[in-house]
Amino acid sequence: MPADTLGTATEQLLSPQLLAQLERLELVSRKVFRGRMKGERKSKRKGQSVEFADFRQYVPGDDLRFIDWNLFARMERLYLKLFLEEEDLHFYALIDASTSMDFGEPTKLQFAKQLAASLGFIGLCRADRVKIESLGTSSRQPGPTLRGRASLWRMLEYLEGIQAGENVSLAEGVRNFCLRNSGKGILVLITDLMDKEGYEKAMRFLVAQQMDVYVLHVLCPEELNPEIKGDLKLIDCEDEDIAEVTVSRPLLDKYKRTLASFLDGAREFCTRRGMSYLMTSTETPVETLVANYLRKRGLVR
Amino acid sequence: MLLADFINMLTWWQWGLLGLIPPAIIALYFLKLRRQPLSVPSTYLWSRAIEDLHVNSLWQRLRQSLLLFLQLLLIGLLAFTLLRPGWKGTELIGKRFIFLIDTSASMGATDTAPSRLDDAKRQVKALIEQMKPENAAMVISFSDIAKVEQPFTNSRRLLRQRVELISKTNRPSDLSEALRAASGLANPGQSDFEASDVQTAEALPATLYIFSDGGVGPVPKFKLGNLEPVYVKMGEEAQQNVAIASFSTDVNPEKPGQIQAFARIENYAEAETSVEASLFLNDTLLDAQKITLPPRGEKGLPGASGARFEMNNTIESGVLKLVLDTKDALGADNTAFAVVNLPRPAKVLVVSPGNDALELALGTDEAKKIADVSFAEPKLLETKAYADQAAEGAFDLVIYDQCAPKTMPNCNTLFIARLPPTDWAAKGPRQGPPLVIDTDQVHPLTQLVQMGNVKIVEATPLTGPQGTITLIDADIGPIYAIGPRAGYEDAVLGFELVTYTPEGKREVNTDWPIRRSFPVFVMNAVKYLGGVRSSLAAPSIKPGQPAILRTTIPVDSVVVESPRKERFNVPKEASNTYIFGRTEDLGVYDVREGSGQKVNQQFAVNLFDPRESDLKPKDVVLLGAEEVKGQTAKNQSRQELWKWLLLAAIGVLIFEWYIYNRRVYL
Repeated sequence: MPADTLGTATEQLLSPQLLAQLERLELVSRKVFRGRMKGERKSKRKGQSVEFADFRQYVPGDDLRFIDWNLFARMERLYLKLFLEEEDLHFYALIDASTSMDFGEPTKLQFAKQLAASLGFIGLCRADRVKIESLGTSSRQPGPTLRGRASLWRMLEYLEGIQAGENVSLAEGVRNFCLRNSGKGILVLITDLMDKEGYEKAMRFLVAQQMDVYVLHVLCPEELNPEIKGDLKLIDCEDEDIAEVTVSRPLLDKYKRTLASFLDGAREFCTRRGMSYLMTSTETPVETLVANYLRKRGLVR
Repeated sequence: MLLADFINMLTWWQWGLLGLIPPAIIALYFLKLRRQPLSVPSTYLWSRAIEDLHVNSLWQRLRQSLLLFLQLLLIGLLAFTLLRPGWKGTELIGKRFIFLIDTSASMGATDTAPSRLDDAKRQVKALIEQMKPENAAMVISFSDIAKVEQPFTNSRRLLRQRVELISKTNRPSDLSEALRAASGLANPGQSDFEASDVQTAEALPATLYIFSDGGVGPVPKFKLGNLEPVYVKMGEEAQQNVAIASFSTDVNPEKPGQIQAFARIENYAEAETSVEASLFLNDTLLDAQKITLPPRGEKGLPGASGARFEMNNTIESGVLKLVLDTKDALGADNTAFAVVNLPRPAKVLVVSPGNDALELALGTDEAKKIADVSFAEPKLLETKAYADQAAEGAFDLVIYDQCAPKTMPNCNTLFIARLPPTDWAAKGPRQGPPLVIDTDQVHPLTQLVQMGNVKIVEATPLTGPQGTITLIDADIGPIYAIGPRAGYEDAVLGFELVTYTPEGKREVNTDWPIRRSFPVFVMNAVKYLGGVRSSLAAPSIKPGQPAILRTTIPVDSVVVESPRKERFNVPKEASNTYIFGRTEDLGVYDVREGSGQKVNQQFAVNLFDPRESDLKPKDVVLLGAEEVKGQTAKNQSRQELWKWLLLAAIGVLIFEWYIYNRRVYL
């Protein structure tokens, strides 16, 4: 589908320039998974492709077309020549659509959608199996499974439909996701990790899923550098929790230290469990993020 | 000394109002604590950020309400300031205080910088500062007169202002009037110093603070009554002062037409001193002498030395100024002025049927210099011309020899062998020969008049109006007396000098005209009654004393210009005199007659007061029977803390403002 025919949703999430830039990219998985369909990716499955994988002794019933006759001539024994199968890659984008994501300018949710759309588009271009869901997505109404560039419109439409306010805990959302999607693949979790119960439990679910997990930690400038002053009653938009603060320089310093240690903790937790962690501010343009940071991280190529 | 002392400045209800402020601040603070709600993505990080701050939440609360504590501290400081903490100086005794401040010339001494009077004022102000609100005080300044600067009040501001306004005078000191003013409320009904007075009002005891150097005379009859005296001695013990005690001029007897000046210079220091005395005429240096002065004597008398200046040039008029080149504590007595005025002859009219003795005595050169004498027959008294002249005071002196006018003239008179038509009467019949018992040697009329060798044939004893002074007393009664008459004086001689029988034969009643004392008597009469200045120099006047001026021609008023160039219009009094009372400043006063610009005469005001020049403060002041010992005022002033407290309050305020604006917390 040509970029200029895309609807208004596209203009908000993906600009033509970005689309042009994304077309050249490719999702990379650090692990090799089994796909579901024939695709462009190496798969663990042996199948038909040009890339040699292994030899195996012939057993009756095997397709005779794969017997390596050259080897039979030399060894006088029948071997099958195995090739790597090329299959599709499963790409999952899991968006945290809790109320806390509705902050920032643009909102963190918008940023997350944009990011998911960008990565999804890359996957669509490469004939990957793209599935975008939010944490609150119920098992009855799972997100669409998208394949092929033509599905861009559907992807964007679905993304548009995701609204903030799905206040499920991170762990529960991740658990539901894992239950729904047993397949292997790349999982990009876009969240702000602001869960009072902690993100660790959710992460463990992901580790158990044995996916190639990328955690994109999205924070808005208001969280990174709060510019507030006076005596304030901070109200948590999710659970109405109240924190009374008298803003002062030491308190701000303390907040920043807490934030830094929080980020460090998350990064270390993820890294130790083979997950890739990237903290980003909504101020960073998606283009830069995808083209530079994620490229360096190896998510895209 | 180390304990702080408080003076409560507010009444209980004012404290009540003040006490409402801290609760109000706290209430406002709680109002302020209604924090602004702000929605945030998550309080997750914030809670964790303030989590460990909650660990010692009391201290945290203190830190958070730092502004509140600063404001409370500010109010506390202000309240503490209102208690006027300080270190106690000399304690004020009693509830009512009377501050007597000596403003006499000696208080201008600069031994305690800047001057004794300023020191006294400073100490009085310090005492006023210590007054409690219920105390009342009164301020009286005194020299030889007393001035109630401020009647009893409890307004410290008013008292301070009044004390500040007190200025130095050049007058001598006299405590009695000030004490009378001071004791008015303390000893009511005591109209005089007599104890017999009946108390009429409730007595209000008071503490009497006398700030003086003690150079005051004793006040013998004063009863302190309800006054508690405290004498604060001003000035240093060791004194260095050289003073001109007197300065006058006179005609040089050896060289007629030339004058000489005399000065007496006194040394009040314990050591021998030498000073240079310079004499100026109209600010031109005439002569200078170095004078060595002996130290102060054992009895406290000053060492004195005289100085004589002879002037070769003939001086008719001008101002002589004597300046001592010395730097001592009191500068006022280092300069003296003497005025040489043009002699103004007295206008004398002699009404006599013929008196050769009198004519002879008035015809001398000396007499002509001082008097312009005209002779007339008794029948002149009938003419209108005489009546007009007598009424308008054209004469300084009229001598009625064996005749009397119907109405007394407006001038001094001397009656010879007749009685003035007033209260004068003969005490007895004309009899003789009278024997002279006594002559008043003090009165200027009979000064140097020796009557011992004078024989008188017959005389009439005299009685005069009230206030009459007997000048020559004889066994038959007074035969020469002087009595007052509405501003003038009438001298009456009770016997004839020379008489003529109707046939024209000269008869002699006394041999006085041939005695040496007769011309003296005549000259005394002309000088004293005619108002002639006795010497070339006008008499020196002490500060505060009235100057009695005369003019050659009667004018309605004269203008006196003080050394400070202030001009005063002095109206004419009776007897063709002008009484000028504002002789406060030392120096030369110019007198202009009428509206003319020409300076007609001058007179000098000089200190010439040994008691003021003696700067050594007296240890004891005698108030009636009571001796009040002096106390040197050390630590008199109260050390006030409120200024520092206010500064601290301002500091707290600035700190609070800074914290409020910059959001700085500990």
